[in-house]
Amino acid sequence: MRTYSRLRGWLLAVFNRTRMEDDMDAEMRAHMEAYTRDLMRKGLSSDEALRRSRLEFGSIETAKDGCRESSGLRFWDELGADIRFGARMLRKNPGFTAVAVLTLALAIGANSAIFSVVNAVLLRPLPFADSDKLMMVWATDSRRGVSQDVASYPDFLDWRAQSKSFAGLAAFRNATLIVSGGTESELARGLRVSPGFFEILKVQPSLGRSFRAGEEELGSSQVAILSDGFWKRHFGGALDAVGKTIRLTAMQDQQAETYTIVGVMPEDFRFSTDEAEDIYIPLVGDPNRNHGWLPVIGRLRSNVPTLQAQAELDLIGQQLAKQYPKSNRDTGVNVQPMLEALVGKLRAALMIFVGVVAAVLLIGCSNVANLMLARSAVRRKELAVRAAIGASRGRLMRQLLTESVLLALFGGALALLLAAWISHGLVALLGKNFSIPRIANTHIDPWVLAFTLALSVTTGIVFGVVPAMTSAAHDLNDDLREASRGATGSTRVRRWRWLLVVGETALALVLLACAGLLLQGLMALRGTSPGFDRSNLLTVNLSLPKSKFEQLDSRVSYMSALLSRIQALPEIGSAALVADLPLGGSQDSLAFHIIGQPEPTTGKGFRVAEFNIASPGYFHTMEIPMLSGREFGSEDTASTPRVAVINKTAARRFWPDEDPVGKQIWSEQDPITKQPIPLTIVGVAGDVRQTGLGRPSRAEIYLDYLQPVPDWYWSVLVVRTASDPMRLADAVKNAASSVDPDVPLQQMRSMEEVLSTSIARERVSTLLLGIFAALALALAAIGLYGVVSYSVAQRTTEMGVRMALGATRADVLRLVLSQGLRLGLSGLLIGLVSAAMVTRLLTHLMENVHPYDPIALSVVSAGLMAVVLFASYVPARRATRINPISALRHE
Amino acid sequence: MAKPLDLLQGTLDMLILKAVSLGPLHGYGVLLRIEQISGNRLEIQQGSLYPALYRLEHQGLIASEWGESENKRKAKYYRLTAAGRRQLQTETESWNRMADVIAGILGTSAEEV
Repeated sequence: MRTYSRLRGWLLAVFNRTRMEDDMDAEMRAHMEAYTRDLMRKGLSSDEALRRSRLEFGSIETAKDGCRESSGLRFWDELGADIRFGARMLRKNPGFTAVAVLTLALAIGANSAIFSVVNAVLLRPLPFADSDKLMMVWATDSRRGVSQDVASYPDFLDWRAQSKSFAGLAAFRNATLIVSGGTESELARGLRVSPGFFEILKVQPSLGRSFRAGEEELGSSQVAILSDGFWKRHFGGALDAVGKTIRLTAMQDQQAETYTIVGVMPEDFRFSTDEAEDIYIPLVGDPNRNHGWLPVIGRLRSNVPTLQAQAELDLIGQQLAKQYPKSNRDTGVNVQPMLEALVGKLRAALMIFVGVVAAVLLIGCSNVANLMLARSAVRRKELAVRAAIGASRGRLMRQLLTESVLLALFGGALALLLAAWISHGLVALLGKNFSIPRIANTHIDPWVLAFTLALSVTTGIVFGVVPAMTSAAHDLNDDLREASRGATGSTRVRRWRWLLVVGETALALVLLACAGLLLQGLMALRGTSPGFDRSNLLTVNLSLPKSKFEQLDSRVSYMSALLSRIQALPEIGSAALVADLPLGGSQDSLAFHIIGQPEPTTGKGFRVAEFNIASPGYFHTMEIPMLSGREFGSEDTASTPRVAVINKTAARRFWPDEDPVGKQIWSEQDPITKQPIPLTIVGVAGDVRQTGLGRPSRAEIYLDYLQPVPDWYWSVLVVRTASDPMRLADAVKNAASSVDPDVPLQQMRSMEEVLSTSIARERVSTLLLGIFAALALALAAIGLYGVVSYSVAQRTTEMGVRMALGATRADVLRLVLSQGLRLGLSGLLIGLVSAAMVTRLLTHLMENVHPYDPIALSVVSAGLMAVVLFASYVPARRATRINPISALRHE
Repeated sequence: MAKPLDLLQGTLDMLILKAVSLGPLHGYGVLLRIEQISGNRLEIQQGSLYPALYRLEHQGLIASEWGESENKRKAKYYRLTAAGRRQLQTETESWNRMADVIAGILGTSAEEV
């Protein structure tokens, strides 16, 4: 009640001031009239009555002022006056205002921009109703130490049947679909989902129905739900699309199947955060409990906490482990909030940038605080006069803080413009180079506005509090006396200014150290040879429909025709196919046995290496050196003995003391005779950075595409060109399409681009940190320059005296320089110690960074000191030009 | 008639609360009511009445609304709120206790010490 009436008073004061003033006036005038009338009734003449009533009431204005104060309006009146006065002061010092506002705008803008990204990626809830109840339910594997594993279909069914914590559980799986019909086949992004999937997300199709229980059974599963986008593209948004059929080939299926469209999802619905799905089809289970392949989502019942669900599924997992020891002995269940599963891993990297921009803001704050401290010397007389006529210390501080918050708000307003621009750039940069979920949702929304406003006010208080404290605490007498002379600035103020400069130099060094270490790591990456010649290579992804190429013969004839057609093009050296492109990140492992060697006694009883599949000419095309033996050639066919090429690491690991060429291994058994199928090693190739420049090569076995191999449906065509590969992209594409139009081509890229994409994360992190560190360094340099030149200006007389007494220009130069260098060195040392504490975090941005690398740290320290030297040299030079005569006369 | 007493520091608020507790009043009415109850033995600075009224209203002890005065003029009427009633009660009690104590002290004679 009381709070309410106070609030009402304030609101009235702010929004309806005129009415309140009018009321007050009317009320008191009515009082005086009534009193006058009463006096006249007692027999006084009207003039006398009026005089008496005026006399006894006293001044109406004084009474009104008392009313304003007792209604709590005084504070707002004073605030208004402070703001008006502050705005006038800022207008009167345009130089100071411009520098301060720009500094703050840059620093706050960087923070707002990073916040806009953090808000979109980490903080916003998922775009589903009651999304905090949505969970990912993972399998765990204690033997492999995996806590977010895909589940097998039977496990998923058992979880779904037994758990009571969840309102529903559903499994899903991405599927690439080929949509046939018309002249060209098209790749579509599919999602196989178990019935109940959409209900868990609390989304219903905008047209038709969702999947029914039972539609996960083979035979009744030929139904499809379209995304709104696909529906509009392919059916023109026609309402009668539901009920029509569509021909789809899933990569795993043998051939195209006819699906009946039963529904269309709403326009804004998408499940994946990176790329929207086109088509949803039912998930058909696999009864094999050993085959983990399904991510599972679930919706918790409204009153069940995550921990309780976890406990329940732990029990179910233990029962399954007992029941099916063969497949489930080491497995368990892990319940994780869906948002956490999506963006949890990004948190560390994004938080580093939050820290970085916060440091930039602190540096900006101390710069502006320093500017204000310098100015406070000029304003001492004004403040002293205010204090002399009765302003309390708190009142003075309030006035100064109002000014600094006002300044910060101007900075914040400009920062919003900058933030819109920076965050646009950030999204383009980050979105292009790595897949950050939800980054495309980054906008300057009300949250960002609120953040910027709060940050601006806080900033204003942070950089304003030191100047306000020191200014308001002056000895009045001293100030009034000294104000007429050139103020020398008290020791206290000077100490604060030094502290601020040392602090910001230290922060700048920390950022510089981080940027330097990242740059060093990036250069190390760039200097790493990938193991092949990356220039003038064109790469194209192919996907071979399983229906068409199930037979080895059809594959062999397609591949041979494709390669010879491409190689016949002008300006092309050679072409080949490979399953996993180097630097691409993906790798598959192959369990194998060496014929003639005993099985390893430890582990699983077989050896494991990564495996890849290549066509003849692959090593030649990539210019991967053959260290011994030969690569695949025309002599290796489906009917000749199977062959393999291994890399140098595999040769060293498995045949440390002998030449592996001619040795035999096996990994498959003949399905009929149960005899091992031997693979003869025909060559040893040089190591290639298969999963990334920063990761060492692992043992690798290459199989021949023209012989029976597993998983052949994905392939990358690599083409060695005579000049810029992208110039030939169209020719290669046309040639490939003419060989077989049913094979979709995707992503034509040069190898340089593949390489650059593979280190995109490192490049972007280095670039961003570099920009912020440069900004920090520039601000710190400006701060140092400001402090040193201010002190030179203050010591003009002292310099004059020194020079009059015989100090040389070199002495003066040394004096000023040493002051700047002392501040810089202190900052450097504090910065180095602080840097040592935080640079370890950089491994979240770049795996191969060396957090304590002495060379990088020395280089950035030297760089910082050079800037410090320069920032102090300019004012030092000015000090040497002081004319002793005029300096003394200045006194 | 004896010379009216000046108001004791800090008691004006209590008197206003008491005055409006007997029925809603406009500002001038509060003044008349206090003078009437006190038998004109108290002198209230008329101008100082209003800051006190605004303070009490700001504290939520009284509430105001515009109405019509006895001679058909627009006037702002004040009435006691529930919080004001409680406040008046506690202030009355503590005033009475204080008055007792003070009277006791002032009434003490030399023999009683």
